[in-house]
Amino acid sequence: MNTIHFEQVTKNYGKVQGISNVTLSLEPGVTGILGPNGAGKSTTMKVILGLTRPSIGTVSVNGVNPFDDLELRKNIGFVPEYDCFYEHMSAVEYVSYFLMIHDFNKEESIDMAQNSLRELGLQDSMHRKIRTYSRGMRQKTKVARATAFNPQILVLDEPFQGADPTTRHLLMEKIKSWSDEGKTILISSHILHDVEYLTDNIILINNGRVLASGNRHEIRKLMSNIPIQIKVSPIDKKQLRPLIKRMLDEKWITAGRLLESEGEIILETNESEKFYTKFPQILENEKIIVERIVSDDDTLDSLYSKLVEGKQWK
Amino acid sequence: MEISKMFKRFPTLFPPIFKDCSYRLVTNKLTWVLVAILMLPCALGLLVYYEYSDDRISEEIDGEKIYFTSSGELLHEDLRDIFLDLSQFFGIGFIALLLGIMFSSELISEEYNLKTMQILRTSPIHPIEIFTYRYISGLITGIALLGLYSTIFYIIVMMGSGIHGILEEIGLLALVIKIVILNWIGFLSIFCAINVYFERPYLICFIYWLFWEQIISGQNYQQLTLTHYINSIIYDSLIEMGWIVTADDYGLVNSNNDTIATDPLLSALIIIIIGILFIFIGSRGIASKQF
Repeated sequence: MNTIHFEQVTKNYGKVQGISNVTLSLEPGVTGILGPNGAGKSTTMKVILGLTRPSIGTVSVNGVNPFDDLELRKNIGFVPEYDCFYEHMSAVEYVSYFLMIHDFNKEESIDMAQNSLRELGLQDSMHRKIRTYSRGMRQKTKVARATAFNPQILVLDEPFQGADPTTRHLLMEKIKSWSDEGKTILISSHILHDVEYLTDNIILINNGRVLASGNRHEIRKLMSNIPIQIKVSPIDKKQLRPLIKRMLDEKWITAGRLLESEGEIILETNESEKFYTKFPQILENEKIIVERIVSDDDTLDSLYSKLVEGKQWK
Repeated sequence: MEISKMFKRFPTLFPPIFKDCSYRLVTNKLTWVLVAILMLPCALGLLVYYEYSDDRISEEIDGEKIYFTSSGELLHEDLRDIFLDLSQFFGIGFIALLLGIMFSSELISEEYNLKTMQILRTSPIHPIEIFTYRYISGLITGIALLGLYSTIFYIIVMMGSGIHGILEEIGLLALVIKIVILNWIGFLSIFCAINVYFERPYLICFIYWLFWEQIISGQNYQQLTLTHYINSIIYDSLIEMGWIVTADDYGLVNSNNDTIATDPLLSALIIIIIGILFIFIGSRGIASKQF
């Protein structure tokens, strides 16, 4: 049974369209919703959370309309992208307050809040005022508040934003374990890599429309056919010319440009997967050591652009 | 959610919110600006004390020291007029109203600005609980602040008339505190509801007060205003305390010059009903507001 179901949902904010004609179903496990800023990720989440009503279409979460059902909220945990704290409360006070809203008594709530914060590594600072917290600590506090009551559905809006690598890793492991427990988790991000680690189920959204949904391998495959530009900087700058000459011999390189003053070459290819497989071999054969390989195009933006041009895929 | 469940949850859920709200209200800079303005009549009260202390005449009657003015009138009867007149602008008047507008904004609008309201709306808490906890927190803080202020102000103004004068007019202090309470029950509820529905609550609250409460309260259909019921209670209490006042002094007359003061008990009841009504209106606004 689908936990969350959207049937041709459109949400308009006056003349601005939040999401348009979205039909999707989420099942237990992690689903990643990816899109650039303003794509409609947050609106989708707000509709699930009952923070806003769809202008057209129907939404059901656990079989009920999320806007009207107070009981449903006992089963949904939400980590927003933004800060939403009573700054002068300590993390324990803050998390336990929301637990009391879930009808746990005071002692239970404090106990559960402390456990949850401890699990997220805030044991040393959980009695400090939230206003003194770093960004990572705030992120953990938000997660603790959303998960301490063990909800069945978790809606996580950009949960890794601003988190340091340790916090990021910790949160990823936590999300994986919650998924293993059978929770339905919707996680938004604008970075494919973050979501790839957690799930195979991905929804791509842009301009309020679902452009693609499926597993991550299919999404990656879509990305591999998009022309990309790659910057390569050899350590020995004398090797710039021989390297570009050598690369232009390859059929899968469509163009090349030498930027001597910047000590790099720019290569363009339509077959990124082939590039990343064959390029290291070429470097090894030519005995060229490179300082760095960077591609600004190896992001979701390229994929969005292509999909927005009209090609919808499911 | 049934009302009985909300009552059950009150002892657990209200204290943290009260702590949060009162902290925010007390640490708000604007609160202290208004408190500083409220202290102006206290300074004036001290001035009055020094003014009268040179001219006053005291007489010992039945072991009590009673002060008179140089013209032989009871001093506390002069001073009580000063206390009531100044209170009607400060503690129960315009400045108290500004404090109420500021409090309502801090209690409701700030929750939207801090986005904590969005989190509350994704939690299993009824909008009536959200609104009521904040309203009661504001009510307690406001009444405590203005009640304390009125008491201090009363003592400062009346101290020139000695212990006898202070005790003799204590009913007036009780009346002012009663008006503080009823004022806040009615107005804070309306202001909080305005904060739910409007994006510029300060302006809307002020416009409501100026155009509705001030202009209409002098007209034939003044029963539509809270001010009418507040004035009715003040008028009736002063008459009972033996003051010489007319209904016209409090604008409680219609165009035919007939007294249209409402019974004080009914007035208090209407103010409480208005308070409760706006709790429901405000809660409805929270429930229907989309993000």
